[in-house]
Amino acid sequence: MRDDEPNVPEASVSRRAFLKGGAAATGALSSALLPETAEAQLPVATTPDARRTMVEMRVNGIPYRHEVPNHTTLLEFIRGDLKLTGAKAGCDRLQCGACTVIVNGRNIYSCTALAVEVSGAEVTTIEGLAKDNALHPLQQAFIEHSGYQCGFCTSGQILAAKAFLDRHPTPSEDDVRLAMSGNICRCSAYKRILESVMAASRAMPV
Amino acid sequence: MAQQVTGQAGQPGGALNVVGRRGPNIDAIDRVTGQAKYTADIELPGMLTARILRSPHAHARVVRIDTSKAEALGGVLSVITYRDAPKVMIWGSRQYVLNDRVRFAGEAVAAVAAVDADTAARALKLISVEYEPLPFVLDPEAALAAGAPQLFEDGNLEGQPRVVNRGDIEQGLKESDHVIARTYRCPTMWSGSLEPHAVVAQWENDRVTLWCSTQSPFRVHANMVAQLGLPDSHIRIIASYVGGGFGTKSAPHVDETIAALLARKARRPVSLRYSREEEILDSNTRFEVKMYIRMGVKKDMTLHALDIRAFINQGAYHTRLGGLGNHATHLYNVPHLRTVQNRVHTNVPNTGPTRGVGDPQECFGLDSAIDEIAVEMGWDPMAFRLKNIKRNGDPIPRAAGGAEDGRLVTQALDRCIEAGASRIEWTRRNQAPNTAQAGPIRRGMGMACTERTGGGGLSGAQVKVFLDGSVIVFYSSTDIGTGSRTTLSMIAAEVLGIPLKSFRTVAGDTEAAPWDGGSQGNRTLQGTGRAVEAAARDALRQILAGAAPLLKATPEELELVGGSIRVKTETARTMTLQQVMERRGRSVVGDGSIAQGQQGTDVERTSAAHFVELDVDTETGKVTVIKYVSVHDVGRPINVTIVENQIEGGTIQGLALTRSEEMRFDPRNGRTLNANFLDLMPPTMMDFDPRAIEAVIIPNEGLAGPFGGKGLGENPCHPGMAAVANAIYNATGIRLREVPFTRGAILRALNDQRPAASRTA
Ligand code: FES
Ligand code: FES
Repeated sequence: MRDDEPNVPEASVSRRAFLKGGAAATGALSSALLPETAEAQLPVATTPDARRTMVEMRVNGIPYRHEVPNHTTLLEFIRGDLKLTGAKAGCDRLQCGACTVIVNGRNIYSCTALAVEVSGAEVTTIEGLAKDNALHPLQQAFIEHSGYQCGFCTSGQILAAKAFLDRHPTPSEDDVRLAMSGNICRCSAYKRILESVMAASRAMPV
Repeated sequence: MAQQVTGQAGQPGGALNVVGRRGPNIDAIDRVTGQAKYTADIELPGMLTARILRSPHAHARVVRIDTSKAEALGGVLSVITYRDAPKVMIWGSRQYVLNDRVRFAGEAVAAVAAVDADTAARALKLISVEYEPLPFVLDPEAALAAGAPQLFEDGNLEGQPRVVNRGDIEQGLKESDHVIARTYRCPTMWSGSLEPHAVVAQWENDRVTLWCSTQSPFRVHANMVAQLGLPDSHIRIIASYVGGGFGTKSAPHVDETIAALLARKARRPVSLRYSREEEILDSNTRFEVKMYIRMGVKKDMTLHALDIRAFINQGAYHTRLGGLGNHATHLYNVPHLRTVQNRVHTNVPNTGPTRGVGDPQECFGLDSAIDEIAVEMGWDPMAFRLKNIKRNGDPIPRAAGGAEDGRLVTQALDRCIEAGASRIEWTRRNQAPNTAQAGPIRRGMGMACTERTGGGGLSGAQVKVFLDGSVIVFYSSTDIGTGSRTTLSMIAAEVLGIPLKSFRTVAGDTEAAPWDGGSQGNRTLQGTGRAVEAAARDALRQILAGAAPLLKATPEELELVGGSIRVKTETARTMTLQQVMERRGRSVVGDGSIAQGQQGTDVERTSAAHFVELDVDTETGKVTVIKYVSVHDVGRPINVTIVENQIEGGTIQGLALTRSEEMRFDPRNGRTLNANFLDLMPPTMMDFDPRAIEAVIIPNEGLAGPFGGKGLGENPCHPGMAAVANAIYNATGIRLREVPFTRGAILRALNDQRPAASRTA
């Protein structure tokens, strides 16, 4: 038995609209998840501690300013400090992709980047992908094509695919396989992940 | 293991509205938006971070352990050693949570809980342990030799060898027209999930709640009763979203108890998450099996004698389900059969049942030997299998023994084989290995078969219908990626006549839901699914009873269809479910509890045939899968998308075993050399082309499961190793009897095959 022709509903938000959405638009969704921004207003610590650094970054359109131990990874920062737990720790050492987030348009393994390295950057996590209540076409496609089983790798898969499709909007299947080969799906839902990314590439306006 | 109940199953008279369809999972939004909360995502006020100190020795006695410096470190709130741990073995295992004797490199010795991960890591370094190293042994046969280091007082052999006898094996071999004797080996392999084990423990007075990444909450629950000495009602296990399991999370472990003990001592909630390395070293992984097989056939193409002597390397500890599957006894007819399984303790890390207990390992040996003997006799291996597989009505053991006291029913393996052969176009297969072909690439085809029981035992579920007509299914087995939230909701939706979009689930909760055996061994659908079906029927009965006076009819005259209740013979007399529920004024709770076991002589199994076509590059040793057809009997599929996804994923996991994932141990100290993904190489999308894999479902209807469904999850992972080995032979003429089939192994075998003069040294 084969899948019927994929039936991806009309994307209710265009990619461009999503990217232009900026802080105001995504803020509405995310601030509900992130009641705290008071800390973002805190002054820089008066007694400098060489082992700590103030990092500033916009995550899902919201500016943050946190002082962290220098060795804090970006994954620890977004999961621990920002309480955005969609990015997962599958290996903590650059070998699985569960921690993938997008930094300045590029997918990176957040487990192996320091928060201080990323200071000043624009970061997108899975929590920032939907705009208002509309899912991103990739999220829609992963639902329609069941591009997951346990879901533990899924945030990373979707973000890796987003960074790729933003640069290569009309890829071949083999392009997608190569681009996504840094993201392990242990459940091996690969056939449906591939179908999901291809469907999203067709649904996303170039 | 016992086979399944037969008889009474829930099959509705009319057509099915929900069951048998495709469709996305009901919890899909949570999974694609990052909202699904896995254990490590849970954060409680004042929560501490725990770390475990692990033994560097494969076998040692802990002579002295000093934790005073760690305890004195600021920010450390509790430290525990074997002195704090109960002298109670973990459920189903011989392991103590913490002990003064360690039996594998990586075994837990002490644990700390501190305000943050850095402090916990520093505290671990301050614990000083004096070990008395003991001699160790890694190989299961060496462990049985005289003078071998002994792991346990009663020796290294677990209990007695498991022996099955049917007919007279020596006589059968003597009577055979052709006999082969071969040895096959599957090493210890990492078969775990992407989510490492994680636990969050929180005490309230003398009650504890544990969020765990487990497949089987009530097994963990039972273990906590034993470990902590608490009443059953004082423990709550919650495993809501679980990031995969594949068997490595099917049994209680050290982590739950360690977190609970640390939290109790610290009087604060504790979070414990394994690193990837810990997860690989300490997660009950796939056990090594070495099989000595003798097989005899008659000229009329019948399998006449089969002798399997197996050494199962359980590692230091093993959860209670060990050993091979039931292929030798349940897959093929053979009058003279003997299997002897020696389950042996060694100092490799602990093992357990992983996606198919010992099925993939047994399948590799048995279905390779089947292929070898067929080739030697000049028979088509597929025709040989079709001649000898058990078919409906054939005698088959009702239990795991050899006596064929039952009769096989609802089997569809013959149809699986025929469908697979046609999909892969088996007739194109090389009659003999492709050795004369020009160029370095050799193409070949292979196949293998598998079968398993479908779980069962005790299951429970509840179905609660709210005043607004929406439904929650409560169950305490889990959705580890198998889609059980969706499948179980579909079963209830079918029974109730309430649209699927009205359903939510509470999964994996031992306080909210009734007792259930958990999610392992193909049992969630067949066991929990039947309980959900019963609960839904109970709820339906209550709803119709409540509606009867409102519609001035008897309950028997009513039906619930599409979210409305109506008089069957007069469908205009109708009320919506919501109207009825609101008039009723209180929710409905349907209860379902099921005990399944072998009854009567009908024996139901679930089976599959896999076919692969592949290329071997004889210059590089690279194997490329061109096409892989996985044909399964799943009874009636409840959700076709989920079933196909399971088959495809399991197939790739089976293929992964052919290529990588062997755990390698340092012979000098017994430590695992490759406890990371870079060296174990779980497959990516580049390693096997997912487009090459085709899942095929054979139309069938089972007896034991709900709506004719059969358990499925384990089977897709079984046949990969044997099918690929057989195809590599068909392509090249080399026979690989040890997994994984690395490029090096293939090149060495090709080299050995060449005429001596042209071999490389
Ligand atoms: S957790 Fe970052 S790559 Fe695995
Ligand atoms: S869905 Fe489980 S790891 Fe990808």
